[in-house]
Amino acid sequence: MIKPRVLGFWAILLCLTGCQPALPAPVAVSEPEHFAKILYPEDNPTTIEGLALGKQLFYDPILSVDSTISCSSCHLPELAFTDGRSVSVGINGRIGKRNSPGLANIGYLHQTLFWDGRADDLETQALHPVADPNEMGGSWPLLISKLRRNENYWPAFQRTFGLIEIRELTPDHVGKALAQFQRSLISSDSKYDRVERGEADFTEVEKLGHAIFFDLADEPDPEFHGLPTGECAHCHIPPHFTNQRFFNNGLDEALLLEDFKDIGRALVTGSVYDNGTFRTPGLRNVALTAPYMHDGRFNTLKEVISHYNSGGQYAENRNANIFKLGLSPDQEGALVAFLHTLTDSSFVNNADYHQ
Amino acid sequence: MKYISFFALFSVLFVLACQDDDYNPTRSENITTTIQFRAEYDNTNLAIQSATYAYPTGAELKATLFQYYISDLVLLAADGSEVGLSDIELIRYEDATADNIEERTYDVPSGDYVGLRFGLGVKPDLNATDPSNFAANDPLNENEFWNANARYVFAKIEANADLENDGTFDTGLSYHMGSNDLYTTITFAGNFNIDGDGDPQLVITADMLKALSDGTNTFDIADPDKQRVHGGNQAVATEIWGRLVSQFELSLQ
Ligand code: HEC
Ligand code: HEC
Repeated sequence: MIKPRVLGFWAILLCLTGCQPALPAPVAVSEPEHFAKILYPEDNPTTIEGLALGKQLFYDPILSVDSTISCSSCHLPELAFTDGRSVSVGINGRIGKRNSPGLANIGYLHQTLFWDGRADDLETQALHPVADPNEMGGSWPLLISKLRRNENYWPAFQRTFGLIEIRELTPDHVGKALAQFQRSLISSDSKYDRVERGEADFTEVEKLGHAIFFDLADEPDPEFHGLPTGECAHCHIPPHFTNQRFFNNGLDEALLLEDFKDIGRALVTGSVYDNGTFRTPGLRNVALTAPYMHDGRFNTLKEVISHYNSGGQYAENRNANIFKLGLSPDQEGALVAFLHTLTDSSFVNNADYHQ
Repeated sequence: MKYISFFALFSVLFVLACQDDDYNPTRSENITTTIQFRAEYDNTNLAIQSATYAYPTGAELKATLFQYYISDLVLLAADGSEVGLSDIELIRYEDATADNIEERTYDVPSGDYVGLRFGLGVKPDLNATDPSNFAANDPLNENEFWNANARYVFAKIEANADLENDGTFDTGLSYHMGSNDLYTTITFAGNFNIDGDGDPQLVITADMLKALSDGTNTFDIADPDKQRVHGGNQAVATEIWGRLVSQFELSLQ
């Protein structure tokens, strides 16, 4: 027996939701204990239906104008969702400007997305590549009419978002489904995590690299006193190894701030002081995501470390924590070894993430 | 399936409704009050990166970051009681496009007040917590800690210096301070009334230069051992910290 008062409530509810078909129930994607929870947008909780639809879209070249390129062309699961190229190659072999970032734990980056932070969240980020002439080269109106007519996609969108008529399907729904899938890409079982949980031990070399990465020479515990500090964890802060903020880490000399080839963050802020600054990338699975930096200039982690060890090139906005580190070749190697402990093979091999 | 989905929506609405019901008419005596945290360099508005500042040793500086945590921000009421405004705030200036004023807004009971107090830094019980215990957008999960599971960095001052006056700001200065020993309570006395009518603007000002130099004693930024304080060499930092603590000002405008 449903009490009348409750019935009235259902009626109000029905009207509030615009008398739409029922939405599928949100599901909780399991998250590791030691991460602060993903901040889900209120209007896009993950559902079984949305997750499946998002995954299908992610792997489907239907999103590109000539059906040759999918999201996964540039974000391959076996490379922790990067593409192994210095800069990405889109439709008709068009060369992009930037290196494809990995997507491990991308749902935890709640501040901004892209190297220059030009998207605020995964829902809106997904709208970019489809229309980018260097990436999928398409137009949204065209894609939406393809999806509306598609006998597989239309019912899936209908179910996932409670749509009735095909004209209700918009790019927002594509963005939301892709966001749901990407928020499920969680990496938390690297050797680093297992050591943190007390389930594994670093080798001597990894331990040395860990100590340099986290400046343990500065700690009260004398074990590492006298060791150079790597200063890495000012910016690459665990658990995701990024503070999500924008810095110049000394890649290019710029006697004038105007000299930077790719002005990075300044494209968004319009401030010359942000020229040549980029969002600190997360380092999870970094051993799998070569080449490195926003333009993929370094092929190996060894090159990355020798860049940092050199203190980098001058620019007046080079971050104050980038300076000559004085690492010996062995210590450089130890840092590389530590970065390898961030590889999570269970993430890369997770069948849920694959097509 | 259908039923469950309604239930999910129901609970969302219910929460919203509850919040509305919770609205307490006696809180209408509360006045929405904004406190300004203002940053300066040598008594002028701090401008991140865009300004070139003279340093007392003759060097020039471009400021890139100035930030500090405060804990237990309270107003001291005339009747001897205390009105807690916030457990923790992170005040940060790092954006060349932003101004030098950070604002925080609180509900303050109307009445007479005789002062304001806060602790500079992260108070010991919070300093013992793991950042991941807090929501991803909580001030205590703002990536301001020393390593994976260690204590917080209470304050940071970063700048690029031109020591040789050759026009290149090629010496990084990076002072990161924080430890339970450094945590310091700062109390201001000053009478003010908050009643929603012509209330004073409370302004808490911190001056980056005054933390480095008090006019008599100046931190020697040319000494390579004094260009960085990160963690362990906090002994070097106590000098800066001491000055940082003592230069805060409260003004009622
Ligand atoms: C042609 C290659 C290419 C394709 C196709 C592509 N991406 Fe990307 N993706 C990139 C590159 C390059 C960047 C970095 C661009 C930048 O920051 O300016 C990027 C950035 C991202 C980011 C931001 C990551 C971060 O760390 O901020 C996400 C999320 C993402 N892509 C998801 C997708 C999705 C979803 C699709 C399919 C709709 C897609 N990508 C299609 C190359 C591609
Ligand atoms: C001042 C902040 C900062 C510090 C300190 C810092 N990094 Fe970075 N790191 C960045 C930024 C920003 C980028 C991206 C720069 C770009 O592409 O223009 C980056 C890129 C990287 C990359 C490339 C990742 C990728 O996916 O391309 C690696 C690896 C890396 N850093 C490791 C380190 C290590 C190891 C240290 C310590 C020796 C360190 N970083 C210190 C900010 C920093």
